[in-house]
Amino acid sequence: MADTPAVSVNHLTKVFKGTLVKGAFRAVQDLSLEVKAGEVYGLIGPNGSGKSTTMKVILGLLKPTQGSTSIFGVPSTEVASRHSVGFLPENPYFYKHLTGRETLHFYGSLCGMRGERLKARTDEMLAITGLEDAATRRVGGYSKGMLQRLGLAQALIHEPRLLVLDEPTAGVDPAGSRKIRDLIIEFRARGITVLVTSHLLEQMQEVCDRVGIMAHGRMVREGRLEDLIAVENQTEMVLENASPALLTKINALIQAEGGDTKLVRSGRPRTTLERLFIEATNESKKP
Amino acid sequence: MKRKLQAIAVLLAFGAVKLPLEQKITRDLRQQKMLEEPIHLGVGEDLGQAGLAASLGGLRGLAACMFHLRAHVEFTNVNWAKVDSLYKLVTRLQPRQARYWDEASWHMAYNAASYYLYNQELKPALRGQLYHDHIKRGIAILHEGLKFLPDDPRLWQKLGELHWHRSKDFKKSGDAFWNSFQHGGLGFTERFAAYAWAQSNDLESWKKGYAILKRLYDKSGPTPGLVEHLKMLEQNLNLPASQRIRAAAAVLRGQERQTGPLK
Amino acid sequence: MSDAPTSPNTEAQTRVRFSPRRVWTLAMATVTQLVRMKILAFLVVFCLLAVGAGFAFSVINPEQQLNLLKSVTLGSLQIFSIVIGVVSTALLLPKDMEDRTLYTILSKPVPRFDYLLGKLIGVLLLIGGGLIVMDAVLSLILWLRQSMLFEDAVARMQMEKLDSPEAVAQVREIVARQGLTWNLHWAVWAIFLKATVVTTVALLLSSIASSTLFTIVITFCITIIGHGEALIREFFFQPNLSGMASRAATLVLAVICPDLAQFDIVDSVVSGEIVPWGAVYDMTGIAALYVTVYLFVTHLLFVEKEL
Repeated sequence: MADTPAVSVNHLTKVFKGTLVKGAFRAVQDLSLEVKAGEVYGLIGPNGSGKSTTMKVILGLLKPTQGSTSIFGVPSTEVASRHSVGFLPENPYFYKHLTGRETLHFYGSLCGMRGERLKARTDEMLAITGLEDAATRRVGGYSKGMLQRLGLAQALIHEPRLLVLDEPTAGVDPAGSRKIRDLIIEFRARGITVLVTSHLLEQMQEVCDRVGIMAHGRMVREGRLEDLIAVENQTEMVLENASPALLTKINALIQAEGGDTKLVRSGRPRTTLERLFIEATNESKKP
Repeated sequence: MKRKLQAIAVLLAFGAVKLPLEQKITRDLRQQKMLEEPIHLGVGEDLGQAGLAASLGGLRGLAACMFHLRAHVEFTNVNWAKVDSLYKLVTRLQPRQARYWDEASWHMAYNAASYYLYNQELKPALRGQLYHDHIKRGIAILHEGLKFLPDDPRLWQKLGELHWHRSKDFKKSGDAFWNSFQHGGLGFTERFAAYAWAQSNDLESWKKGYAILKRLYDKSGPTPGLVEHLKMLEQNLNLPASQRIRAAAAVLRGQERQTGPLK
Repeated sequence: MSDAPTSPNTEAQTRVRFSPRRVWTLAMATVTQLVRMKILAFLVVFCLLAVGAGFAFSVINPEQQLNLLKSVTLGSLQIFSIVIGVVSTALLLPKDMEDRTLYTILSKPVPRFDYLLGKLIGVLLLIGGGLIVMDAVLSLILWLRQSMLFEDAVARMQMEKLDSPEAVAQVREIVARQGLTWNLHWAVWAIFLKATVVTTVALLLSSIASSTLFTIVITFCITIIGHGEALIREFFFQPNLSGMASRAATLVLAVICPDLAQFDIVDSVVSGEIVPWGAVYDMTGIAALYVTVYLFVTHLLFVEKEL
């Protein structure tokens, strides 16, 4: 059981049939990948590289032209494979005349949940995604970030073992985006496998264990994040309260070492703009 | 692609199966008077009817209602030609609605006819002519309606009344009342048939009328109208005194016989 | 949140079966959505219309008034049911696709057939509910009007000294036949059946159509042709029909379109005919057959649809 990959994609090719005016379009070409149970896998690539198509095939929304996909060993073509997966599409919309709570009830009932269990689970999901206050408001009045969090809540309502997130942070403000990334990290801690696509690389870097880079429908790179981005022959060192004298000493040591060793860069590390934004907006909240 | 072909195949196969089934159900529903019989009047008219039916779907009743209201407006404007043509349209849309035939004929034979009869602006000869023409038109409308509804007691009754009050053709009036009674008309239509026959010039009608009235007399005793017409028939048939009824009542309308056929 | 994902494995392995509960969930969501879109505002318009038709034309005779009331209201019921059926069906499916709501629904363990059936039942529940309300309003107004008109007519006859028992009986008979009877409800049932068939056709078309407008236009075309299908069919069954081309053309039309004229008993009911049980069975049976087959075809088209 532990060996069964959460997602496996075998030699997947997807060709969209052409029309009279437009020729056929090959969206994915002989793609293979595996997401192990419990890891966060990031599928990244530019727009139109075939990420979303791959996800839709995994979820059974599209039929593969060639090859196959499965979720925890169950072929995606079977409806049963959807028991263990929750999906958050890019920019999700829900029935805007339902309230947040009704929306979660709706998706829970679709998964066969009912009664106390459904009610408890709905409350739990509202709490986790921070939508308790908005639970009785109609979804039509939700902000983009709230919709995204509601999307996460509905994806998790039936306690799936795998979460598939399509561009979860696209179009969401930094605070909302931070919250979503924190949730992803929390899911991993609880043993939920996450397959996430994004073109916001920096954000992916923070949450993914492994990434695959797609371009033109093919996998061009795949591996553990550290392995992929580590610069093998460099070392980073960040000091606090270092005196100028100490810095001069270190410099002297490096020069004394000789050979290939050299100082590439030194200076003050910068906080990220994102961190600054979050700190500033949080400060303004405090009276 | 395979499924698409399957879908088309299912649709065509079902189409082939459904046609005879629809044919049967339509026939059944027509027999139960739930649907209109297809109307065969003439080639041109038939096509128009078909087109109208198809384009209006189940809304013919609604359309007929609208034209009917317009006819009422024209009636208050005493525009008889327009009333007639609008009712023609209404009865074409709903030929199985007895009330439309009834009203159409009533407007012509009573309202329009009387309007012309008492119209001082017209020459007397013309007034009489128009009076009779519109009565004829009223009768023609009822006959047309009876083509669609041969079993309708109401239309037969109205025809009987029209012949009685307007054309004074008592034999036809009696026949019409009798038809009404035969098709489930109210009880009085039987008696009225006999009353009308009593006033006709026809020996056979007298005999039929006498049989009816005598039976009713024996069953339920004398009532003024019954006695009056029974006496009239006894006289017409020259019955011997022994066979005549006892109740004495004056024969009121001995002289007021049929005026003769409509010109 | 529970500490570990507890989704039982055995569940994932078994086949997902058709579930009435799931279909009901989808149907109720559809109903809620449509109701909150204020689609039932039509009901208010209808009630005003019924009151208007019932009381506005007091110049014409009692029978005409009752007849007018029934024709106008039953006519608007037909328009209501078909328009709501076609438009909401044509709107809902493409909207779910556009908004990606369909993705979130179908990425749950929901067979596509359940989704289709849920949508259809939702729209039909809305139409059925609307028809029940309107039937009740119509019945009430008809009953009120009927008693008022009968009393008026009798009073007038008394004034003119024409109130013989026979004449009163005839007025009573006419008013009773034109007034509130069970037949009226059967007419409403027939209207519902017709709307059901048309809605299923709309669902079928919206599963292949690329635009809402296409679905609406083609469904209305089929609705119009469907009312004349009996004529086309009878033309086809004529023994001495000349020309292969015209025969083939009529055959294609007759095969594709449902015969909607079979449900047009409204006119007969308005004129006071009694609806026999046989007619109710016939209409219900053929409607069920249309719906079953069209839904099956829709399923065949939708099950492989690329979303």
